[in-house]
Amino acid sequence: MTTNPLLVAKDFKSDLKPIWCPGCGDFGVVQAIYRALAGVGRPPHEIAFVSGIGCSSRIPGYTTAYGFNSVHGRSLPIAQGIKMANPDLLVLCAGGDGDGFSIGGGHVAHAVRRNPDITYIVMDNQIYGLTKGQLSPTSPCGLKTVTSTYGSFEQPVNPLLYLLSYGAGFVAQATPADMAGMASVIEEAIRYPGFSFVNIQSPCVTYGQETQQVKAHRSQMKSLASVGHDPANRMGAFELASHYGEELYTGVFYRNPTPPPTYDALFRGRQAELATKVPRDRILDMFVQR
Amino acid sequence: MTTNVQGIDFSKLSLRDALDLAILVEEEAKERYEELAEQLEQHRTPEAAKFFRFMVENEAKHRADLAERRRVLYGREPSTVTRDMIFDIEAPEYDEARAFMSLRQALEVALRAEQKAHAFFVGAMPSASDPAVRALFDSLRLDEIEHQNLVQAQLDKLPPDPVAKPEDYGDEPVSQ
Ligand SMILES: Cc1ncc(C[n+]2csc(CCOP(=O)(O)OP(=O)(O)O)c2C)c(N)n1
Ligand code: SF4
Repeated sequence: MTTNPLLVAKDFKSDLKPIWCPGCGDFGVVQAIYRALAGVGRPPHEIAFVSGIGCSSRIPGYTTAYGFNSVHGRSLPIAQGIKMANPDLLVLCAGGDGDGFSIGGGHVAHAVRRNPDITYIVMDNQIYGLTKGQLSPTSPCGLKTVTSTYGSFEQPVNPLLYLLSYGAGFVAQATPADMAGMASVIEEAIRYPGFSFVNIQSPCVTYGQETQQVKAHRSQMKSLASVGHDPANRMGAFELASHYGEELYTGVFYRNPTPPPTYDALFRGRQAELATKVPRDRILDMFVQR
Repeated sequence: MTTNVQGIDFSKLSLRDALDLAILVEEEAKERYEELAEQLEQHRTPEAAKFFRFMVENEAKHRADLAERRRVLYGREPSTVTRDMIFDIEAPEYDEARAFMSLRQALEVALRAEQKAHAFFVGAMPSASDPAVRALFDSLRLDEIEHQNLVQAQLDKLPPDPVAKPEDYGDEPVSQ
C-alpha cells in the first residue's frame, strides 16, 4: 500500500472518451473523482473501481484505476468480493439510482451491515438514463415518464435515510453545481475507514426534470455546514436527510466519530488467529463434521 | 473568496504564483473546450464543435503568451500553484454543452465563460496584497473584457436561431 503526494487529477484520467450526452452531470462527477483520488494519493494500480450497468456505470472506464463495468445491480457484491480477496486495494463502487436502489437495492443493506472499507457513489438522476427515461426508484411521485404516462403513484426511495438507517458510518450528498464541495466530500468518503456512501444529485440533461438540473441546483443547494449541522449527530442527520426531494443539502450528513472495525480488518484478524491454530493443509477440517 | 479555488491565499500570492495561476486558468479553459468539441463532434453538432476548436486555439495562445512572460521573469523556478487548486474559472462548465446546440448557443457559452473569468479576477484583486499581482489581475480582467467584445461581435453577425428547437424533431422515447 503506497501513497504518492505528487499524483494529480490527470493521472486518474484514462484515454477513453466519455460517450455521455453533452451536459450530463456525470462529467462533473468523474472530474471530482479524479481530484479526490489525487488528494488521497493512492496510485491507480492500487485502486479497483466497480460499477453496475447504466450511463453512470460507465465511469470506471474513464479512470486509470482497475475497472469492472459489471452486471446491473451487482456492483456491491463484486466490490465486496474484491475487497475481501485483496484488502489492500482501495475499492470504489459506483452506479445509478436504478442500479443501486431498484435491481441492486437488496445488496445495499448487507454491504452496510458488513461494513467493508468501500466507498459507494450513486449518481442519482431520478430516472433510468441508459434505457431512455423510465421511472426510477428515486423519481418523485407524480412524475410522467414513458413507464408512467399519467404520472407515477409511487413515493421515492430516500437513499440518505436508507443508508443511515442500516447504520452506514459515512453518509454525504453532493452536486456538480458545487465542484469543489463534491471533490472534497468524495475524498472524505474515501478516507473514512469503513463503508461510506455519497449520493450525488447528478442531472440527466436528456430525460431528467427541469428542476433537477445544475442551474436549478445552484439556487436550491444548502450546505449542511451552513445550517449548523454537526456530522457526528446521527439523529440530526436523520432529520435533515428526511427532507430528501424537498431540500438539496450538500456535505456530510453523518460521520461516525468512533468507526467500528471494518469487515476486512475483522476477517484478516480471524485469518491470523486461525493460522496459528490450524495448519494450512488441514484448513478444510473445520468445515467437516466429525 | 470564491469557491472555485482551493488552498490559494491571495494575500500571500507572489507575481510568479499569480502568473502560474493565470497560466493554469487558460490551460483549464483550453482543455475544457477541447472536451466540449470532442463531445459535440461525437454527437453530430459540427458547427458548435468547430467553434469550440477555435476557442481551444485561442486559449492555447493566451496560455503561451503568459508562459513566455513567466519564463522571461522567473525561468525554471518551480511553481507552488497546481491545477488541482482551481475549478472551472474560465472553463465553461460541463453543463453548458448540449447535443445539437446552435453556433449562437456555443458563442453564448464562450461569452459566459469570459464573463466568469472577468468576475474571478475582479473578485481576486482586493485580496491580493502585492501591487504587481493586483496589476496583473487588472490587466487580465481587461483582456477578458476584450475577449467578451470579440465574442459579442461574432454573435451580432449571426442570424437569429430558428424558432423550432432540436428537441422538436426528436422521437419520443419508448418503453423498453
Ligand atoms: C438484469 C438487467 N435488467 C435490466 C437491464 C436494463 N437496464 C440497463 S441500465 C438500466 C437502468 C439505468 O438507470 P440507472 O441505474 O439509474 O443509471 P443511469 O443510466 O440513469 O445512470 C436498466 C433497467 C439490464 N441491463 N440488466
Ligand atoms: S441519458 Fe441522461 S444520464 Fe445518460 S448520458 Fe445522457 S444525460 Fe447522462
